[in-house]
Amino acid sequence: MGWLSRLELSDQELDRYTAQIEEIIRYLDKLDSIPLEDIEPIYITKKFTDLRKDKAELFSSNPLGTKYRKNGFVKGPRMA
Amino acid sequence: MAAARNDGWMVKIGLEIHCQLTGLKSKLFCQCSSDYRGMEPNANTCPVCAGLPGTLPLLNEKAVELAGMISLAFGCKIPDRIMFYRKNYFYPDLPKDFQITQYNAYGVSSIGAEGKLEYIPGAGSGADTGGKTARIRRVQLEEDPGRLVYETGSMESSPFALIDYNRAGMPLVEIVTEPDFIDPRDVRIFLNKITSIVEHLGACDTSLEGSVRCDANVSVRGGNRVEIKNVSSFKEVEKALTYEIARQKAKSDREIQVRSETRHWDDARKVTKESRTKEEEQDYRYFPEPDIPSIALGQEFLSAIQSLTPELPDDRKARFVSSYGLSPHVAQVLIDNKQLADFFESCAKINRSPKEIANLIVTDLMGLVGDDKKDSGAIFAGLKIRPAHIAELAGLVDRGVINRNTAKQILGQIVKTGEMPSEVANKTGASMIQDADSLSKAVQEVFRSEQAAVQDAKKNPNASNFLLGKVMQLTKGRASPKAALELINKKLKEEQARPD
Amino acid sequence: MGDLYRLTASQITSGVRNRDFSAEEYICEILDRIEKVEPKVNAFVTVNKEQALNQARILDRWIRDGGNVGPLAGVAVSIKDNICTKGIRTTCGSNMLREYVPPYDATVVTKLQNSGAIIVGKTNLDEFAMGSTTEFSAYGPTRNPWDISRVPGGSSGGSAASVAAQECAVSLGSDTGGSVRCPASFCSIVGIKPTYGLVSRYGLVSYANSLEQISPMGRTVSDAALVLDLISGPDEKDHTTTATPAIRTTGGDIGTGADADKRGLRVGLIKELTAGADAEVSRIVYGAFDLLSSHDCSCTEVSLNAVDYALASYYTIATAEASSNLARYDNLRYGFDMDPEGYEWNTYFAKARSNFGPEAKRRIIVGSYVLSSGYYGKYYLKAQKVRALLKQELKSLYKDYDVLIAPTMPILPFKIGERVEDPLKMYLADVDTVIANLAGIPAMSVPAGFSAGFGVGVQIMADEFKEQTMLQAAQIVESGAGVNRSPDL
Repeated sequence: MGWLSRLELSDQELDRYTAQIEEIIRYLDKLDSIPLEDIEPIYITKKFTDLRKDKAELFSSNPLGTKYRKNGFVKGPRMA
Repeated sequence: MAAARNDGWMVKIGLEIHCQLTGLKSKLFCQCSSDYRGMEPNANTCPVCAGLPGTLPLLNEKAVELAGMISLAFGCKIPDRIMFYRKNYFYPDLPKDFQITQYNAYGVSSIGAEGKLEYIPGAGSGADTGGKTARIRRVQLEEDPGRLVYETGSMESSPFALIDYNRAGMPLVEIVTEPDFIDPRDVRIFLNKITSIVEHLGACDTSLEGSVRCDANVSVRGGNRVEIKNVSSFKEVEKALTYEIARQKAKSDREIQVRSETRHWDDARKVTKESRTKEEEQDYRYFPEPDIPSIALGQEFLSAIQSLTPELPDDRKARFVSSYGLSPHVAQVLIDNKQLADFFESCAKINRSPKEIANLIVTDLMGLVGDDKKDSGAIFAGLKIRPAHIAELAGLVDRGVINRNTAKQILGQIVKTGEMPSEVANKTGASMIQDADSLSKAVQEVFRSEQAAVQDAKKNPNASNFLLGKVMQLTKGRASPKAALELINKKLKEEQARPD
Repeated sequence: MGDLYRLTASQITSGVRNRDFSAEEYICEILDRIEKVEPKVNAFVTVNKEQALNQARILDRWIRDGGNVGPLAGVAVSIKDNICTKGIRTTCGSNMLREYVPPYDATVVTKLQNSGAIIVGKTNLDEFAMGSTTEFSAYGPTRNPWDISRVPGGSSGGSAASVAAQECAVSLGSDTGGSVRCPASFCSIVGIKPTYGLVSRYGLVSYANSLEQISPMGRTVSDAALVLDLISGPDEKDHTTTATPAIRTTGGDIGTGADADKRGLRVGLIKELTAGADAEVSRIVYGAFDLLSSHDCSCTEVSLNAVDYALASYYTIATAEASSNLARYDNLRYGFDMDPEGYEWNTYFAKARSNFGPEAKRRIIVGSYVLSSGYYGKYYLKAQKVRALLKQELKSLYKDYDVLIAPTMPILPFKIGERVEDPLKMYLADVDTVIANLAGIPAMSVPAGFSAGFGVGVQIMADEFKEQTMLQAAQIVESGAGVNRSPDL
């Protein structure tokens, strides 16, 4: 699970959290005991005519907050 | 029917096509321009597509329209409401570390599903018309990630990656087919048809680099499926499939099991290779995108997109045949490339000689277009040719002022100089010779110098074509072939009737 | 003057407009107060000193020159540090964003500034709004101004403390599962969570997008309502805002709003929640109940069956959405200074993300788990169905009742450090508040009495978009309970 979330956990943390997390999940298992066959989730709806109109607009400043750049590219770690 | 064609190999090919909606002005969820090619890296970004904290996706109305039109064109059902989902995975080119896409595993929510497309028209009616149809599993809207680039040119040797987010958030329509294909050549034809459709809808300019991509799934004899990715263009897909099928068949022959995997197409060496990055089974943890409400479509939407849909290629072809009297073959060639079809109609508006115009375009003009230009966005680049030229030229031929041979020569000249055909014709005195006097003179001359051929022609009527050729040579190609041939045959008959 | 920091928002605005005092004077006092009180309370992550003074001076000049001013002119406002402020560091209480300066303002921030308010600082919170005590902040815990050995509540603990300690007049917090109502109750102030979709979330750093709303806090119902009115309304930058026109909630209008027939409100007290609270809390809630009775309201006890499952549903949905919302923090585009060169990318991501605190990590892991392959139907889908069930039940209750009341928190503020190692126990304290977030209905906490030196809030909930009705009830409780002391700081 830590890998799926890309979280590096120390051994200490692993010890502490595992028990806590298991306890939480056991609590969530409560959902199994309620009868839910006849009910469907409710979603907010929006009409397709209320969506954003297709117009281009330049965002005038730089949104990126990293100083690690090269020739405009964002510098990232190696991929292999 | 399919089994018979399979010759026992049971080849199954399914396609996954991604098509950028370059016809939109802005990206899928923000107002950044969709025209990002050629911009400085990261100059085409904003807080939304850069995935900044606190930003929210704002769905582009026209994207939904275009995707709807594409769905309709592929015969898909469009649901009453569509929803978006998050596909969660980590990658540096993914600004939010999830992609907003559509997903049908929990109920159909994508813009189109269960469609079909006839890509090879059947002839006539009855059971086996020879036509081919592919079923479309779904059509969905999603966003493009950014782009990773490597200074050293390869991922393995680069100590760091360079990321450009200009493309992140570009609208994509993904089209997934059922594994209905058995022949890579059919795939090529199908992809051409898709190209034609999305061009005609104004959804995608397929000549732009990277605007259409195709991944394929292949299996033989019921074996494991292999996914082929990284095919750079539609043209390469046929090659990649041919290679991969051969590879799988070879394994199967030697009773080696084909592994279920993802392979990359190596453009340079023309082979499929095992994927370098171990693309393990990813758990994407799909769930509905909470920031985008479910979008209600319904009859109003259907009517709107039906009225917005321009003439589709098949309908245009039918119209070319019925209104302009073109042959189905010629019409097909024109609609296969929208630029040709558009050019044709511009010419036909100026001068109603549609058959001749079509002929000139398809036969003679295309012969002058370089191979590299044929798939480009500017097919006539470098040629000084306008609809007015072709229109006038066709008119001259139709009225018998020049013959087709001459027309071809004149065409060769005017694409370089841009002159009007009538100018050239007058300058070179290229008008067709039709008057009986000049023609008889020419025919007589040829009869005199080609006695052997004349004897031949008396016995074998087909040989008169040789004589015709000589007449054409003599008149520098200006003789009216029809009139000349008539005179030749008349003369032959006269001579035959004369006692030797 | 010396006492300007005690004034309410409306008092400040009229004072500044009438030039009884200058905005600069007022802001100076506020800043002095902050300096004095912060070592004890730690409500702020960033204090916006220079800009605030500048804005005050500009406002004064404008007024002197006869210009018109907005309804919050000169009012000192604090903003929870998970709401983006252009040019002002926004950390979300996390090390992951310790150097992040947003290039844009949240919609609500723009609206406040247009109304003349002056932002004095960004307030402390549980990391990424996940927590109920503000102990999970990377910038130290905030302390309850009434007793600094105790928690102020959370996750908007800094916002609540800053208002209670009079370091500002009003504040904007965010409420996902009670994050504004809980600290409002613990700090004895007013906090209003609006109907989902009433206030724009553009600029609110997402924790659980289908549950949260930016929520105003103030020392009086009237102040909080004033801010609510100013920040609500549909926003084209947030497609989840509804097109329903803004509710008129400003001060004087509350009592004579749309339901102006002056009929007594029909009040329902939720049995299960009140019974589940500490004795002292129950006592105060019943006190409020009686108060409403005596004001011509008809009061009955009601049952809400879905209460049993609400908490499990909330934590499933919230952690699932959080695990996805927090994925973007890979430190490549913004965050803190860590050169990516030399790392393999998975390692870089994992190492950067080790900077999350324990609660954030736990929730991300639980969230990934409930969404993982095969579990969608067992957890997430069920939780959404429970939500639908809850909404249904409430809709039918609201046919017969105008407002429902319950405790805001089942307990009184506990000591700092007491529950930090027991996350599940922490979660259980949210039982009263998660209902309103799940159902998307408006809910608020208003101080209704005192116990052991702490104000205790009672929670009032109304049907969707019925903020006005909810505020009517709140005003009755507020004036009746007369809880208007200030902490000794």
